[in-house]
Amino acid sequence: MHSLCGAFGWTPAVHQQAKESVILPRKKAWSKEAVLETLASTLNRDSTAYPYQFQDDPYLSPRTATEFKLYSLAQDSGRSAARYFVNNHPKFFTKDFAEPHIPCLMPETVSLLLEEVSEEALKERITLRKVTAAVDMYDQLLQTGTAVSMETTHELLDLICLYCDRNPVQEGEAGAEEEKEGRRMTSRRGADVPRLSWTENNNAERIFYLLPERDTRCYSAVIRGMVKHGAYAKAFSVYSDMLNNRTPGDVHIFNALISAAPEVRDGYSERWDLISELLNHMKQQEIHPNLLTFNSVLKSLRQCGSLARSYSPQTLNEMKALGIAPSLASYDHILAVFYKSVSSGPSNSDVLQNLMTELEGQSFTCVDPDDVLFFSSAMKVCLDNKDLELGYRVQSLVEVGENWRLLGDSVQLSIYYGRFFNLLCMMEDVDVVLRWYKQMVPSLYYPNAQGMKHLLQALDTDGRLDLLPDIWTDMKTLGLYNRADLLEQLLGLMAGEEHSPELQEAFAVCALDVKSVFEEKAGLEWSASSLSHVTTLLLRASKAQQAWDMLKLFKAHNRIPSEALLNSFLSVCQRDGASERAVELVQLSAAFCLTSTSGLASRALAEFDLNQEQRLVLAGLEAAAGPPSD
Amino acid sequence: MFKIFNKPLKCSLFFSAHITNVKWSVYLLPLQSSFAWSSLLSGPIGSRSLHVTAVCCKNRAARIRVGKGEKPLTYEQAYHPHHIAHHKGWLSQHTSNLKGEDGAAERTIEDVFIRRFMFGTFHGCLADEIVIKRRGNLLIVCALMLQKLPPQKFYFLTGYSEVLLSHFYKCPVKLEIQTLQDKHVYKYI
Repeated sequence: MHSLCGAFGWTPAVHQQAKESVILPRKKAWSKEAVLETLASTLNRDSTAYPYQFQDDPYLSPRTATEFKLYSLAQDSGRSAARYFVNNHPKFFTKDFAEPHIPCLMPETVSLLLEEVSEEALKERITLRKVTAAVDMYDQLLQTGTAVSMETTHELLDLICLYCDRNPVQEGEAGAEEEKEGRRMTSRRGADVPRLSWTENNNAERIFYLLPERDTRCYSAVIRGMVKHGAYAKAFSVYSDMLNNRTPGDVHIFNALISAAPEVRDGYSERWDLISELLNHMKQQEIHPNLLTFNSVLKSLRQCGSLARSYSPQTLNEMKALGIAPSLASYDHILAVFYKSVSSGPSNSDVLQNLMTELEGQSFTCVDPDDVLFFSSAMKVCLDNKDLELGYRVQSLVEVGENWRLLGDSVQLSIYYGRFFNLLCMMEDVDVVLRWYKQMVPSLYYPNAQGMKHLLQALDTDGRLDLLPDIWTDMKTLGLYNRADLLEQLLGLMAGEEHSPELQEAFAVCALDVKSVFEEKAGLEWSASSLSHVTTLLLRASKAQQAWDMLKLFKAHNRIPSEALLNSFLSVCQRDGASERAVELVQLSAAFCLTSTSGLASRALAEFDLNQEQRLVLAGLEAAAGPPSD
Repeated sequence: MFKIFNKPLKCSLFFSAHITNVKWSVYLLPLQSSFAWSSLLSGPIGSRSLHVTAVCCKNRAARIRVGKGEKPLTYEQAYHPHHIAHHKGWLSQHTSNLKGEDGAAERTIEDVFIRRFMFGTFHGCLADEIVIKRRGNLLIVCALMLQKLPPQKFYFLTGYSEVLLSHFYKCPVKLEIQTLQDKHVYKYI
């Protein structure tokens, strides 16, 4: 275990640097509110704690973002395995000694009980979400001539349209082909659920057209299903059908159609015309818009180019006039509209400023699935404009109450904190950066290679290279040692200048560590600069033997050492009085066919006291390499 | 591994160290329970049956006999039952043994089941006896594990055990796991 310290194993050097002597006061007077203040300080988030869903043990705690996801998914799959057993063998779990009764701990029915052709059987299949079985039952009922009530038909249509006429993947089973398709699609789109597409003449449409009378709910189910699964043009044709039959619409239909509008029209003004036409229809039918209506308008406006800038503030004003409070998703769409490209004008940074002033101190709940995208977009804007003040304001909004829940899943979380950390490293003093680093890593944010690079740059800018060995320990814990470019940057920073002897010792230890990493991990290629950096560090810390081994590695990996390196090696040899090694060094440089060979040879002849044999060899090399070219 | 499981399943040896003083442990099962591992003198279903276990004298219970000096013992195994409340604590903590409280037998049966369940689910990973604590409705199972499985497998088994035991006992069950490299040896006998 590397430098285990405290609950987490993070290095102590990023804590207080100054080692003051402890002075015990004679008498300490506490303020009247000291106890209350201490108690209040325990209410904040504990930055040294493990995430609560994991066990409190160093072996079992995640250290990187991948481990976080792996362990939480493993725990969840264990739970679903247990639920599978409970639901499939309910006879062992029916004994009920809970007083009062706890319904969620009883086994659920997953298998069908009713087999005969009846409406109850159909309702059962609908509740159990068995799409294909429900459709079969419905067809059988129609064939036998039994009338099915309107309520049940509505629910059946809702079911088919929601699941796009396919059975939802149950826990514990997975159709093998569905999974393969899903995996291909997910790798392309990065969504959690495979996007199904609406097929021609599927059961929903068939049942829909067979119905003698179609009312609002039927139209609503079919239109929303079509929009959800990508059949946009068809949705509009069903809508015009609905208008012709003079069936009243409902708010969900219009929400779906507005969000589908950019897909059926090209050209910004046509899209806006369609949206305004739909809104007018809504007004004519006296259907009240809700929050999701306006959010879909804003979302569609994002695809309307320059028109968006004029119409989206108007949309916000409409919302306020109707008394509907905008949610974070609406603000996210506004930000996307106004900060579309990096080269937006300076006046646009006011939008986020004004927004943050308005949202200061408010707590939000999630009302729209797109709410979770707001914070990462806001932080992106701050990062692009290099506005640290604004970044702090966004972070303080996240810390209000329960707003941290709106940061989204682990991917969104890492994006948000990655951007925030990037902003801090660019703009802030290194002490403040380290304070945030201590607070956020790794309880909130597992830095990836990019984040680490920013941190190293920040340390370099402010000259705090003494923290590099501890940062290297953290990098090893985070599993970031697989990136050759990151290792090269680290080594370059360490080898840049001469430092105090203790620091050089620490750097040399790190360098040897990095060398062992290169050797252990297959697929990590040594580059010339990393090899020379490691050698330089070892030389500075007077580890001559190991430096000599490094030179052999140059040959093994086909890399050429630089002239400066060989010169400094020669100086070290001179300091140590190792004349044999000096001769070997010159021979090595001759083997590499370097131009500096003759210079090295003459230096060696001049500075070392060598015996006759060595002198001959060196003279030969000096001559063979020829006079140095101008 | 432990000495505790070398007796055949027929005799129910109680692992929680508060063994009673009597020679015979005889107890009545109200109905044929669904997890009857011991032999039952069964009548027709719904009748009471007499269940008699094999004898385990109090001078042999939960004691590991002295050997040649190569047997490693944990602290728990090294101290005998009469040392409870002097050198060791209780492995199972509930309030049913207080005056006026009932349900001690049911709690004991649950504990036995939970210990066997944990032993089987985390096979080969248990470093010491399980400690079971009941706080209100909550059942907390504290286990000391060896680091034999990778952490994701531990989490899978933890999630599985928690949900299965909760559904079984109709109360929330939490697992608290600590891991060790090796079993901690107190002395060699």
